[in-house]
Amino acid sequence: MVSQQDDMVSQQEDFGANPNLLAAPIKSPVDKFQLLPAFLKVRGLVKQHIDSFNYFVNYGMKKIMEANALHKVTDTIYLRYINISVGEPYVAIDNIKLTPQFCRLSDRTYSADISVDIEYTDGKGQHPTRKTSVKIGRLPIMLRSCNCVLNGKDETELAKLGECPLDPGGYFVVKGTEKVILIQEQLSKNRILIDIDGKGRITASVTCSTHEVKSKTVFFMDKEKIYLQLNQFVKPIPIMVVMKAMGTESDQEVVQMVGRNPRYGDLLLPSIQECSSERIYSQEQALDYMDAKFNFFKSCSIQLFITSFSTLKEGRAKSILTDVFLAHVPVKEQNFRPKCIYAAVMLRRMLDAILNSDTFDDKDYVGNKRLELSGQLVSLLFEDLFKTMNTQAVQRMNYAMGQSNRSGALDFSRYIVTDIITLGLEKSISTGNWDLKRFRMHKKGVSQVLSRLSYIGALGHMTRISPQFEKTRKVSGPRALQPSQWGMLCPCDTPEGEACGLTKNLALMTHVTTDEEEGPLISLCYSLGVEDLAHLSAEEIYANDSYLVFFNGLILGKHTRPHTFANAMRRVRRSGKIGEFVGFRTFDDFLHDGLIEYLDVNEQNNALIALYEHEAGEIDRSEITHIEIEPLTLLGVVAGLIPYPHHNQSPRNTYQCAMGKQAMGNIAFNQLSRADTLLYLLVYAQRPLLTTKTIELVGYDKLGAGQNATVAVMSYSGYDIEDAIVMNKSSLDRGFGRCIAMKKQTVVRENYGGKVSDIIVAPQRDKDGALIRKNMQILGADGIAEPGQIVRNNDMLVNKKSPLNVDKDLKTRTYKDTPAFFKGVEGETTVIDRVLIYTDNNEKMPIKFIIRHVRRPELGDKFSSRHGQKGVCGTIVNQEDFPFSERGICPDLIMNPHGFPSRMTIGKMIELLGGKAGVSWGRFHYGSAFGEPSGNACKVDDISNALIQKGFSYSGKDFLYSGILGTPLQAYIFMGPIYYQKLKHMVLDKMHARAKGPRVMLTRQPTEGRSRDGGLRLGEMERDCLIAYGASMLIFERLMLSSDPYQVQVCQKCGLLGYYNQKLKKSFCSMCKDGENMATMKLPYACKLLFQELQSMNVVPRLKLTEA
Amino acid sequence: MDPQQPEPVVYLCGDCGAECPLKSGDVIQCRDCGYRILYKKRTRRIVQYEAR
Repeated sequence: MVSQQDDMVSQQEDFGANPNLLAAPIKSPVDKFQLLPAFLKVRGLVKQHIDSFNYFVNYGMKKIMEANALHKVTDTIYLRYINISVGEPYVAIDNIKLTPQFCRLSDRTYSADISVDIEYTDGKGQHPTRKTSVKIGRLPIMLRSCNCVLNGKDETELAKLGECPLDPGGYFVVKGTEKVILIQEQLSKNRILIDIDGKGRITASVTCSTHEVKSKTVFFMDKEKIYLQLNQFVKPIPIMVVMKAMGTESDQEVVQMVGRNPRYGDLLLPSIQECSSERIYSQEQALDYMDAKFNFFKSCSIQLFITSFSTLKEGRAKSILTDVFLAHVPVKEQNFRPKCIYAAVMLRRMLDAILNSDTFDDKDYVGNKRLELSGQLVSLLFEDLFKTMNTQAVQRMNYAMGQSNRSGALDFSRYIVTDIITLGLEKSISTGNWDLKRFRMHKKGVSQVLSRLSYIGALGHMTRISPQFEKTRKVSGPRALQPSQWGMLCPCDTPEGEACGLTKNLALMTHVTTDEEEGPLISLCYSLGVEDLAHLSAEEIYANDSYLVFFNGLILGKHTRPHTFANAMRRVRRSGKIGEFVGFRTFDDFLHDGLIEYLDVNEQNNALIALYEHEAGEIDRSEITHIEIEPLTLLGVVAGLIPYPHHNQSPRNTYQCAMGKQAMGNIAFNQLSRADTLLYLLVYAQRPLLTTKTIELVGYDKLGAGQNATVAVMSYSGYDIEDAIVMNKSSLDRGFGRCIAMKKQTVVRENYGGKVSDIIVAPQRDKDGALIRKNMQILGADGIAEPGQIVRNNDMLVNKKSPLNVDKDLKTRTYKDTPAFFKGVEGETTVIDRVLIYTDNNEKMPIKFIIRHVRRPELGDKFSSRHGQKGVCGTIVNQEDFPFSERGICPDLIMNPHGFPSRMTIGKMIELLGGKAGVSWGRFHYGSAFGEPSGNACKVDDISNALIQKGFSYSGKDFLYSGILGTPLQAYIFMGPIYYQKLKHMVLDKMHARAKGPRVMLTRQPTEGRSRDGGLRLGEMERDCLIAYGASMLIFERLMLSSDPYQVQVCQKCGLLGYYNQKLKKSFCSMCKDGENMATMKLPYACKLLFQELQSMNVVPRLKLTEA
Repeated sequence: MDPQQPEPVVYLCGDCGAECPLKSGDVIQCRDCGYRILYKKRTRRIVQYEAR
């Protein structure tokens, strides 16, 4: 049982040429890099998303429709779907083509109509009529997919549509927000996995998934006997009973199917014995036995979806064996033999695992995983909604037929409610909740708002893979770096903290395949000499020299010469007959010619892949089957920004991956016409002096997020300890680190139905012509603030009035003022950048203000290089006081050298060297990952030589003068340009202080959080310190006087709280009904609240007072 | 000040850039190309910005 020919339904990657062609001279290994740009040009960065969505629109949808084509009310009254298609996105009202940018600006969904061709009969079951292009709903369209208006457009056309040519697409625009459906990682379906479960038992499990049923079949071994576990049965069923129930009554045949080796027989013996001790010998007895174990409650929900539901006469067990047990193995005409053989294979692999523990499967092995893409996820949603829509249509038709007073013929097509699909899809994609009761699926966070913090952040979001496990699980296995991730998943790009190692990212060249048509491949297998399973006896399956051929988890048959077969399959693939990608241009030609091929993780086991042609070493050259196109492709998009990542300590690269997504820069070419809630832009973004090939490939050199700062690595002033940075004030004046924060504020002019709506009026003036309110200054003649105006906190944006009465028939209306104000930071001057006005679908008129704030770096703003070296601005120093070189070069910032020894970011040092050589020569140097052998990364030696030629020291150190004293510094200073990113965390957005302020109503304690002007909490641990120190009065002040002091009257007799009668000037106890023994004391209001809450739950807290 | 007789305010079309005078209560739509997002024109008042 070798040679698993799992076809192309998996992640595949990796390139190489066939060994014969290797012998022919290839020009040089540098040439093969030329393939990479060609590859990305053909494929794009997010091809996996777009391909998957295209497959759903073109094929998946049809398959779902065909599976649910016929809907009958009675035998004669029916509704039949004939065809289904998706149109182009357009606006429902004016029939204008919808563009994504329009949707983003006006909060619409970028969607297209789904239309069907149907045939149906009238209420009497006669006159079948056909209708074409009946609209059944709207499908959100993925940007750049085949139905998108951007499909196939060139740069100018994209610019005309207001779209950025570098934007990868692959996301949806739902209600104006961009939503990505994350790639979901899953355990491979329809695959046998041998594992040990929580109780230490050996199990063989298969998660079956077909269009109709999803089930999990588990075989486990308990006390040497093997059982089947299935949700539909209350108890585990002995495996021999199952085999007998499927018609393999003879024990000998079972043993033969598992294998003739006596060791298998020995291990099976206890199971066989158990079966016979239960006195089960025939199929009928076995089925009866299983019927008794049937679990009705659990099954009834599933049975609704079993299409070929067998009649009850045959017994439930048989129908479960047909439809649920190993559901992906089809049972045709009651022929259970394929299922028997499959079960036997599962048994054999279990027994193999007992005999040889090496044969256990690794669940973390990438080859055992599958990636579920947006197309598949939307397809699940669509299937569910389509079915709901149809059942509702049938119900309504049924109801309408029951009405006696109906007039005229009934029109089935009128009972199709289009809102179900439209709203259902919109709701799921915009909330991210996939709640499908039909498939027992309840996933949250499937779709996310596309992060537009930086261009690279958006790209990184598109390649992210969300984990299959919950984050709470305390196992290290799934988090660890798997060797099989090589070239498929980026080893660097994973978050820190709870999702560490679970959330992953695709590598640069990873391709995720969609389904391929199975039929032709199966017949190809047969014609390449696979012997059909149906013609084989149990004995023959495991005869010598016979190997089973699996196809997508199905056993096709056996083959006697597996290597010949596998080679033949590969040859066919290389000749471009199967598994080709829709092709044009160079890269695909190579694919067609079989010079380049995709390898999936499982096939990599049978390949020996070299990085470079000349990399021979101890391995015989003829054994090498493939050559990697470029080693830099094993990293992902985000990690590809790091220059010389292979010289850094590994976690530093991971830190940079997290920070690269927070760096400010240029977001897209259309960034200034976007209307995001919050957008951070860098004013003078630069392209890095030290680039990598990945940077050029993904377009980071066009949409950079940082600036080349001249950095001096030295100590200065003491304001640079703990990673703080000393900045040059003149550099800041010149625009270093200057950024724009664009914020959106939306004001809606409500509509109350009919012609009743809010009104917006010109600013009112008194008789002298002066404005009646001072904060109305920036309003225009239409009562809306004008672009270009400086806007301060509490300035009026819209002079709006709302009707007091929304009754439609009112002649004269009275309005009350409902103006909208700008909420911003006090003392900051911000400018209104743009004002958008439009009407939405509900006749409301939103007005969007985009407010611009230009910020220069200040103390405490966060910066980072590309090597996980973050730091805050510690002080800003005048240029006069900055050190300078003989050439007059003065650094932009000073970084403390203590940042280097423990972090071991050698890459940063090489970046400085390369950058310095780069500016002096006027060219860009490269630092691609592992690029030295192929010339994609400059060697330090070469850089040093370049520096020497320009009169610098080979080490990159410069002779500097002190800016304060004017004397030469004692040491040479390592100085040169390093690409610095400004991160989104800025002091202005975070700083917060409060003396008095708002309080929470319930507890009367200060509010929490900056946004509510909250207090700073003295928490438990701080309290502990004060207790330990003995500062009791300080605790008293912090916890009560500064928080929620409250005076209460306590009855010393009963210990309960009383009240103070203001008229009689006396306190009373309402329990004792007198005013004796009352005492006045102070306690926190929250404490009093607690007492009252306890009383409400029938717990009496009593206070016992003593003299203090 | 009569709110019933407001002077038309000129807006700019988000697609073709044409000027589009609107009174309150008018449909928000460009008269030339039919685009439904309009931008407000930049203020004509003198604004003094602080250059830092």
